[in-house]
Amino acid sequence: MRDAPFTDLKVLDLSWVVAGPLIGRVLADYGATVIRVESSKRVDTARVMGPFPGGKPDVQQSALFENCNAGKLGLSLDLSKEQGRSVIRDLVPWADVVVESFSPGHMKRWGLGYETLQAIKPDLIMVSTSLMGQTGPYASFAGFGNIGAALAGFQLLAGERDAMPTGPYGPFTDFIGPRFGLLALLAALDQRRRTGQGCWLDVSQAEAGMQLLAPQLADFSASATIALPDGNRDPHMAPHGVFACRATAGVAAEDAWVAIAARNDRDWHALASAIAGPELASDARYATLRLRQQAEDEIEKLIADWTAQRSPHEVQALLQAHGVPAHVASASADMVSDPQLMARQHFVRLEHPLMGTSPVETSRYRLSDTPGVPVRAAPTFGRDNLFVLRDILGYDQARITELESAGVLV
Amino acid sequence: MTSNHAKARPVGQAGWLAPYRVLDLTDHRGALAGQMLAKLGADVILVEPPAGSDARRMAPFASNAQGEPLSLFWSAYGAGKRGITCDLDSAEGQALLRRLVASADFLIESEDPQVMSQRGLDHAQLREINPALIHVSITAFGSDGPKAGWAATDLTAWASGGPLLPTRDPGKTPLRIAVPQAYLHASADAAGGAMVAHFARLRDGLGQHVDISVQQSAAQSTLSSILSAAVGHADYSIGQDARNAKKPLDLSGSGARTRRSKWLVQDGLVEMHLAMGPASGRFTNNLFAWLKEAGACSAEFAEWDWVALPQRIESGEVDDSLLETAREQVAAFVATRTKRELMDEAHRRKILMAPIMTVQDIAHSPHHAARGFFQPVEHEGLPLQLPGPFAFAMNPVAVQPFVAIRPAPTVGQDNMAVYGELCGLSSNEIAALAAKGVI
Repeated sequence: MRDAPFTDLKVLDLSWVVAGPLIGRVLADYGATVIRVESSKRVDTARVMGPFPGGKPDVQQSALFENCNAGKLGLSLDLSKEQGRSVIRDLVPWADVVVESFSPGHMKRWGLGYETLQAIKPDLIMVSTSLMGQTGPYASFAGFGNIGAALAGFQLLAGERDAMPTGPYGPFTDFIGPRFGLLALLAALDQRRRTGQGCWLDVSQAEAGMQLLAPQLADFSASATIALPDGNRDPHMAPHGVFACRATAGVAAEDAWVAIAARNDRDWHALASAIAGPELASDARYATLRLRQQAEDEIEKLIADWTAQRSPHEVQALLQAHGVPAHVASASADMVSDPQLMARQHFVRLEHPLMGTSPVETSRYRLSDTPGVPVRAAPTFGRDNLFVLRDILGYDQARITELESAGVLV
Repeated sequence: MTSNHAKARPVGQAGWLAPYRVLDLTDHRGALAGQMLAKLGADVILVEPPAGSDARRMAPFASNAQGEPLSLFWSAYGAGKRGITCDLDSAEGQALLRRLVASADFLIESEDPQVMSQRGLDHAQLREINPALIHVSITAFGSDGPKAGWAATDLTAWASGGPLLPTRDPGKTPLRIAVPQAYLHASADAAGGAMVAHFARLRDGLGQHVDISVQQSAAQSTLSSILSAAVGHADYSIGQDARNAKKPLDLSGSGARTRRSKWLVQDGLVEMHLAMGPASGRFTNNLFAWLKEAGACSAEFAEWDWVALPQRIESGEVDDSLLETAREQVAAFVATRTKRELMDEAHRRKILMAPIMTVQDIAHSPHHAARGFFQPVEHEGLPLQLPGPFAFAMNPVAVQPFVAIRPAPTVGQDNMAVYGELCGLSSNEIAALAAKGVI
């Protein structure tokens, strides 16, 4: 049995919502001890967003919060009080890594800036994740990930041609930022191992997001072309779209959709054979990508007429049997019963005092020898206060009682 | 060459991952992963088929100095890598790759499941040559399971991972993001997963297989709504707007479940969710304070407290048509203003509003200029601006985290150097392999 990759790594997680906490989630999955600090006086937005058991809002049972914080220890601390902040300063010598996502400058105003913390712990690595970064004219621009998606260029890019854009689902740069932040942090840990030097890393969600629009940004610099959406169409594949299907028991017609793509002429031949037989498959009007793109409206209509008679799962099965890329546009119900996700053990159930079990997603990487999986559910408020204060910090009961009565541990 | 490249880095110094070598066998489906490591200084050797990677043929295109089409996908994600060719479907090519593997720290590939093992190059086979090798595979559904052999594209993988369905307006078709995202998200996970495995290797010297499933990576973009059926929260991700039905109010203020957050302004669009409730109603109060100052809202809205508004809605005191009137006044107010003007006021007044940036707005942003985010790279005679580092060190550091990236390689550009240096081949031997079409 090999050691978990981050055995011995200690992380103080002061971040909230999604982009920051997902970094610590990965570290916890792979063996790090992560203390997530929060206060019920400033409730984490992830706790109010759900989804919730039975659809009943409860800040202690949000599946989003659970998913972002599984595996962590929970310390409740009111950081607006100096005594709360002094607990943080006591924890810093213990920590290898501090992750925070307050608005830029906030940590410093609290006396928790990098210089202060680094003086306590010389080789500390601190990750500050924010919408726009710690510097620059718009550093203090406030907002959630939907604002980040606007600033990074994504809001414009989900839509039909010449229509008001729909924009991506959710705070899109929150899903991207932590991936880049994690890699920068792991590189920092590796160089600390070699040089003994810590650092303060400034991670901007907008800059992380723009990495995924690099070709379009390059295109603007080369030819002043402005990237715009075109529904679900693709320059390299036709047909390429999302098609309405027949309603089935439990799935309304408005939620029954399937995605279909023909990567090449072979895929088109197989798709056409499946929906209309050899005559369509050998129709010279659709033989090449260029021709199919010219006739895309009529091809989409042919497909839509066919899918409308079938459920998304029927379409998926028929087309996959012909080797054509097709997949149900999965809703949560499809995913929790998806045989692939089940085979990969994508959903993990963790014991939870209020939920019974808390379902979360497993690690997004499957490591053959040192698999990562959360060992405990995300904390309820203050769940691990005693362990952190007494066992990690060595506070005596008098000190803990004093913090309690001063209203710091809330 | 740009000034950045004039001072080319000595390998093994600048860049936090400079000590490591990566064999990048990916096609367009995994090109980002190696580049993320290359930006941090790793020596990333892209191994292309002799005809060149398919990533060289991906949109969008510009014209190079000779007037030939140049893939900017390639310019963007090939940058920072060295480039060699190797026919991995030939026995000689496979033998060459095994020699390269001996000195590699990471290998990343995006072949369909089974392809690497048919070549005799799967992880079990390669670890016999190099037990420390970390082998990362990026596949649509992961390397095993009932769908492992399914045909897939970025669109169908996005559909399978969940973010496609809720990306839609009421009664309309679910939409992907026009710049395909699924494999990019998976590639970013591939880079992260590679480094997680690296920390296991630091403990015992052993490599392992890191198995990335695009489906599972894409699921991160559902904001955990993937879990709604598991916890029994019916109809969660679709939300009230997509259904046009009355649903509990979203009080998060994140705008995550609203579609009505786009506003037409003088020169484009802005994003703003009229948030209410304790978490972020105050930002909407800030907006209405501005409207009030400008005399742009009626008296009753000027007095609204958006923090307490949910209670008034639930009691029936405030109804949809009144909310709609408030929205109309906001719409009229922003319509006469520019994105820049609105951004500056939103910044000053703490309003949750941002311009919906085009690539042009991004390219001209004073913020990115001040941070030095863009990096000039000259590729095939074409001067380009590419996204630079994805993090900055805020304190003085002995070793800079990121390196200036070099332009994407030409086909086989580094064959001589790499095969000479890493496989000990003479120039005659390399020429012979080239003549046979192996490289």
